[in-house]
Amino acid sequence: MDTSELQPITDFIQGLVPFDSLSHSTLARCCKSLSVGYYSKASTFVPLDETDPQLYIVRSGAFEVRSDDGELLDRLGEGDYFGFPSLLSGEKVSNRVRILEDGLVYHLDPDTFDYLRVESRQFDRFFNRAFAKRLRHQARFKAKELTTTSRVSALMSNNPLIIDVNASVCEAARKMRERRVSSVLVIDNHKLCGILTDRDLRNRVLAEGQDGSLPVHQAMTTQPKVLSSNALVFEAMLLMSEHGIHHLPIVDDERAVGVLTSTDILRGQSSQPLLLIGEIERQSNLDSLISVSKQIPLLLQNLISADARAEEIGRVLTSVTDALTRRLIILNQALLGEAPMAFCWLAFGSQGRQDQAACSDQDNGLLLAHEPDEAASGYFEALTKAVCSGLDQCGYIYCPGDIMAQNPKWRMSLSQWQSKFARWVDTPEPKALMHASIFFDMRSVFGPSSLFDSLQDKVLANTKGNDIFLAGMANNSLVESPPLGFFKKFVLERDGSEVKGIDLKHKGNALINDIARVYALSAGIKEVNTAKRIRALMEQDIINRKDALNLVDAHEFIAHMRLSNQGYQYTHALPISNYLQPKHLSSLVRHQLRDAFKVVHDAQSGIKLKFTRSF
Amino acid sequence: MLSLNLLKVRLFWRALRAKSERLKAYYLAQKAILATNVMEAPLLAIDLEMTGLDAQFDQILSIGIVPIENGRLILSKAEHKLVKIEGSVGQSAAIHGILDHHLDGAVSPEVAMAWFADKCHGQILVAHHSPLDLAFLQKGLSVHFHQTVKLMAIDTLGLEKRRLMRQHEVLKEGALRLGASRERYGLPVYAAHNALIDAIACGELLLAQISAIGQGDKVSVAEVLS
Repeated sequence: MDTSELQPITDFIQGLVPFDSLSHSTLARCCKSLSVGYYSKASTFVPLDETDPQLYIVRSGAFEVRSDDGELLDRLGEGDYFGFPSLLSGEKVSNRVRILEDGLVYHLDPDTFDYLRVESRQFDRFFNRAFAKRLRHQARFKAKELTTTSRVSALMSNNPLIIDVNASVCEAARKMRERRVSSVLVIDNHKLCGILTDRDLRNRVLAEGQDGSLPVHQAMTTQPKVLSSNALVFEAMLLMSEHGIHHLPIVDDERAVGVLTSTDILRGQSSQPLLLIGEIERQSNLDSLISVSKQIPLLLQNLISADARAEEIGRVLTSVTDALTRRLIILNQALLGEAPMAFCWLAFGSQGRQDQAACSDQDNGLLLAHEPDEAASGYFEALTKAVCSGLDQCGYIYCPGDIMAQNPKWRMSLSQWQSKFARWVDTPEPKALMHASIFFDMRSVFGPSSLFDSLQDKVLANTKGNDIFLAGMANNSLVESPPLGFFKKFVLERDGSEVKGIDLKHKGNALINDIARVYALSAGIKEVNTAKRIRALMEQDIINRKDALNLVDAHEFIAHMRLSNQGYQYTHALPISNYLQPKHLSSLVRHQLRDAFKVVHDAQSGIKLKFTRSF
Repeated sequence: MLSLNLLKVRLFWRALRAKSERLKAYYLAQKAILATNVMEAPLLAIDLEMTGLDAQFDQILSIGIVPIENGRLILSKAEHKLVKIEGSVGQSAAIHGILDHHLDGAVSPEVAMAWFADKCHGQILVAHHSPLDLAFLQKGLSVHFHQTVKLMAIDTLGLEKRRLMRQHEVLKEGALRLGASRERYGLPVYAAHNALIDAIACGELLLAQISAIGQGDKVSVAEVLS
């Protein structure tokens, strides 16, 4: 049988790490040895036969692995594996695999599994690592480190500099100077045969007293170590450190497609946002700030592709916004002169909560130490107008609701702000409160913290234990509910008709933000970041540990889905939105999403019981 | 769905009238499997590509088979045979993608039928829209055995149709096609098509259908034969 006849199966298997490391013929042999089974929810557990261990490769459906005492070890969806621990250890299976959603599973027999481990070191290493990881009981939504999960293709430089094997080293050096790179790939008859680096030019040409006409092949490193663009960055690091090299040619299908250097890896590590913030702080005029801010979407994209935690992405993006805001204030103060009094630049809403995502608009205000006279008013009007317009040009569009420091309504003295908040708190009209809720997520981006504290302390003193106000806030937070029923419908509509997307922001994370805000205000907690609020509430025993952790997990998961969805939209040049089209979700992700929404639903019930019963 | 006894009698008669021992043994082996639970029965999922839809005039181009043992498709025993035809594949190439030059390594219809007679022995056939495939196979096997041969199969299209009718669903056009049926069970979309892939797709669909019937361990072969 020709393997191309099993194309759909071969294609699927080939796309899986570590099967992607197998040679064509090994892969063909592997696919031919598979057997295909179907597991139905009706039978609850996958019957694992200890006399007949197999590697189970999930083709569709959703499964979860639990230890014999019921602890959740892993959740599996398309492209995940189970059954390998007993294949590797030869011991009896003690884990149980529950079927969450009907699915098709490929079985790989032990003989073929062992054969593949011998054939490919990567294959062997992958399952040994997975086994060790399973033993460590990895947390469910734990995000992965950039270097261990991102692919070489994300960091390598494409379009590598190449030179023919018979060219002179002088010519090679000239080309390297033109392209400002430290290595060149040497090609013989379209195939990679070596690499020439700065170090080779020094050690094998200059130090040996050779002249520039020496052919490249006498100075190059022959048969260099290479990787495919699909390899993990982690593997590249391993290879570099094992062999003490700094350059790796990247080869796909025998064609050199790029070069990965140790500097690329360093640059790819999480220092990137720091570099960007550093760059922002070095800019001395608006134009250069605007051009630096063009990198922000790319930063977001990199963070998403590296699978960073959504909470971290929000914090990183917000710190960039904060840095940009501060830089704009400082630059404009240099033009306008010293401020006539102390002031704080307030950030509200998502910037306040430190969970900004793509396409955030501005929500800000100005807090003045005392009532400004006419001259001071003029100064602050000019300052805020310049800063807000600067932010707009850097990609943070003007707030549609005009909640901005350049609006005189939101440029007030401490006592005016205090009485504004007091009005919201003491006479809570539902409509007014709904618009006011973003103000309760406030943070000072610039200015003396004592001034900001005087405002926040006063606000929290008013809200803490204020039943009427809290009931109003709680009622507002219950207006929207998570789209739980949606999933059932979705399953029924699977074959065809258009399904509306899930609004991950307004029916997901916004609800968790609301819940955390109500609790935090009731307890007088100063944190405004939702995850930090929930942790503080847990430490003060206001929310029990299990519920708190579930809520943080749900928040993280929904935010993660929203970001990766926006990453998908960005790379496919679609308009960025909060709507997730569930069509392309794997059943595993659908399950996790449903669980997350369930957590939100339960927390809403909790709020309702706690804050709204007597009103 | 025919009653178990009726099926037994029918197979018994066919065996009695069979002129060759081989064919007699085939019918008797079928008879022995009837009461077996589907998930434990030896099954053979098949698919054919033809030059057209009329078994009288059109010819078989290729046959894909994959055995199902204990509820698992065994890919190592999956096979794909291309069959030589008289004349050209003509317009039908647009549907199955087999062009004349693909048939270079093909076997003669006689060899293909001898091979198939051997493979289907002791197995219950499974096909999507089985009447069509069976018509071609019966014609070919009748030549091979010099006697009219009658085949039986589990028809996944028939099963799907009955299930949807029971749920009082309005059958949209194309709703019973292999791909559309698989989608309802969340089975993956296979982009490529040939007789072997479609045989595998059909086998997988049967597993999903039997699971959906529930009491998967209590459904006998006779209950799902069409």
